[in-house]
Amino acid sequence: MLSYTVRRVLQAIPVMLGIVTITFLLTDAIPGDPVSIMLGPSPSAEQAAAIRAKYGLDQPLYVRYVNYLADVVQGDLGRSLYFGEPVTQKIMERLPVTLLLLVSSFTFALATAIPLGVISAKRRNQPTDHVSRVVALMGVSTPSFWIGLLLIIAFSFHLNLLPATDLIMPWADPASVEGASTRWDVLVTAGEHLIMPTITLGTLQMAAVTRIERSAMLEVLNEEYVKLARAYGVGESTILRKHAFRNAQLPVITVVGLQLTQALGGAVLTETVFSINGMGRLIIRAINNQDYELVMGTTIFFGLTFVIGVILTDLSYAYIDPRVTYGERE
Amino acid sequence: MSADEPLLEVRDLKTQFFTAEGTVRAVDGVSFTVEEGEIVGIVGESGAGKSVAASSILRLVEDPGEIVGGEVRFKGETLVGFEEGPDGELRERDEMLSNGEMRGRIRGREIAIIFQDPMESLNPVFTVGGQLQEFIEINRDLGGEEAEQEAIDMLREVGIPEPEARYDDYPHQFSGGMRQRVLIAMALACEPSLIIADEPTTALDVTVEGQILDLVEDLQAKYETSFIWVTHDMGVVAEICDRVNVMYLGEVIEQAEVKDLFYDTKHPYTGALLDSIPRPDETVEELNPIEGVMPEAINPPSGCRFHPRCPHAREVCIEVHPENRVVDGDGTPHRGACLRHEETFMAGYWGSDPLGNETQGETDPELTTDGGGSDE
Ligand code: SF4
Repeated sequence: MLSYTVRRVLQAIPVMLGIVTITFLLTDAIPGDPVSIMLGPSPSAEQAAAIRAKYGLDQPLYVRYVNYLADVVQGDLGRSLYFGEPVTQKIMERLPVTLLLLVSSFTFALATAIPLGVISAKRRNQPTDHVSRVVALMGVSTPSFWIGLLLIIAFSFHLNLLPATDLIMPWADPASVEGASTRWDVLVTAGEHLIMPTITLGTLQMAAVTRIERSAMLEVLNEEYVKLARAYGVGESTILRKHAFRNAQLPVITVVGLQLTQALGGAVLTETVFSINGMGRLIIRAINNQDYELVMGTTIFFGLTFVIGVILTDLSYAYIDPRVTYGERE
Repeated sequence: MSADEPLLEVRDLKTQFFTAEGTVRAVDGVSFTVEEGEIVGIVGESGAGKSVAASSILRLVEDPGEIVGGEVRFKGETLVGFEEGPDGELRERDEMLSNGEMRGRIRGREIAIIFQDPMESLNPVFTVGGQLQEFIEINRDLGGEEAEQEAIDMLREVGIPEPEARYDDYPHQFSGGMRQRVLIAMALACEPSLIIADEPTTALDVTVEGQILDLVEDLQAKYETSFIWVTHDMGVVAEICDRVNVMYLGEVIEQAEVKDLFYDTKHPYTGALLDSIPRPDETVEELNPIEGVMPEAINPPSGCRFHPRCPHAREVCIEVHPENRVVDGDGTPHRGACLRHEETFMAGYWGSDPLGNETQGETDPELTTDGGGSDE
């Protein structure tokens, strides 16, 4: 297992290198001149030249590439042209917000989808199954931003129950949170802010996982080893919990891994709908401002998240299925 | 259970599958018995209903299949039993064990099963020892440590080298033959009175098959467990079984002791099965496969179900359906379901016109002339 982990991590290095290279080339190919954005429509020639020299834009492409690569390896993603701050600092500021959103929506999705899928499989073709399948089908076919807008209209404008904008970090200082005096107040406020974005982002995941959980369970319940367990007097609930469940999670993990990367895209939309200052809005602002250092930095960071997602998927796979790491040991 | 009652008695068992295309009568009135310490074979082509018959005994028939009639008695308990209700409908009898009782008292504990495919029968994500131990704990009421010891002993018994070391290995680290040994260990470790082996050697190569058969014979002699051995291979039957039931399209068409079945064959289908056994003195090209494919059990042929393929079929075979009857009462009764046994069936076979099936393919000329009248 350890050598497998190390190998998977090492294999990720060339992938990351590829991501950095492609990001760099694509960003360079974006039409528009960052200098004109920084200095306004008609800068003087000297000003423009000075800026170019300052950011190294006067050098040929390959020199800039090598320099950039060297910086990235050292963890330096450059400076945002728009904010004037280091890109990494900007990312670190926004990252916890997006992470909170992702963790919360995945917790919501998995906590509902796994039991729903299992029950659906167990009561195949019975009313419970039909209801859960219809819900799941609606979930995968409804755009998340639309769900978000509906929630805002219903719960913020009409019912006035939940806040429509922003996220509050549960660990925020009570003094900095409006109307909060204790830690408990902060937690409650944070929860209220989190509910709608979580549902908005998590519904798709929930629906997708429910569907795969159901079909995976149905498939495993048909396996010979499940029949064997039944023939040896093992009770149905033990079969569901033990003999079938673990195997069924293999395809589920693959889907969760894919959803994780898709959810980054979903986070951009959700953050926009709820005006949350996370990574998603950061990347949109970077693109709108042609803040190319920031575009590259956030893109590379999204790429890194993707790679980590894939590695985690593979490792969970190996953890569940002993056949994956087989052949590693001598 | 009275002294002369067999260990297992299956009477007129009927299992049907309700599919969109129609009702498949997979098991259509099958009767047989298993005595203590006996190995009873159920043999036939795939689709004959032999596996369904086997799983019906444990009431493990899967949707859309259902046991619709007949009786299965085991050690004085009614595993399957139907009676006619007031409205004429068949309904389950009161003494028929509940599902909970089947699970708690019968499955594994009294009747264990070995499946065909050793590669698929073990759960890939749990250790071999763990799976064995779990079944022992459930079926012998042993605690974890005792069950583990029992599991290790049993693995040694079935010829797994270094069982202590292999205990924590996963199924994929075992070969097919070794996995089948593990499954045999599972069955024996639960100390059942009856083991149903459903084509347990079909997926194995011939050498390994031989080893497994030897192993089962040794262990059977030692533990005196009864077996129902489901197979399509007459060679396996010859090697291991005491008595045999030959199944065709949901029916038992011949039932006899092994030596009687082989040397005094009473049904043309059995004869054809015997002809299809590879023998050392024949090359593969010379094998006699049975002519034609088995018809579907949705719409079985009228009369004798074998008549479209039977080289001896005559007009009467299309009309009269032969149930198996005792055709030779010497020693253990030999039952057959073929109208050629005129003295038993009295359907006028020899006076009926031949259907001419024998011209369709090459059939054994000896058998054909034999059928021409010497039995009359
Ligand atoms: S009854 Fe007729 S068709 Fe059937 S096996 Fe006998 S001879 Fe053949």
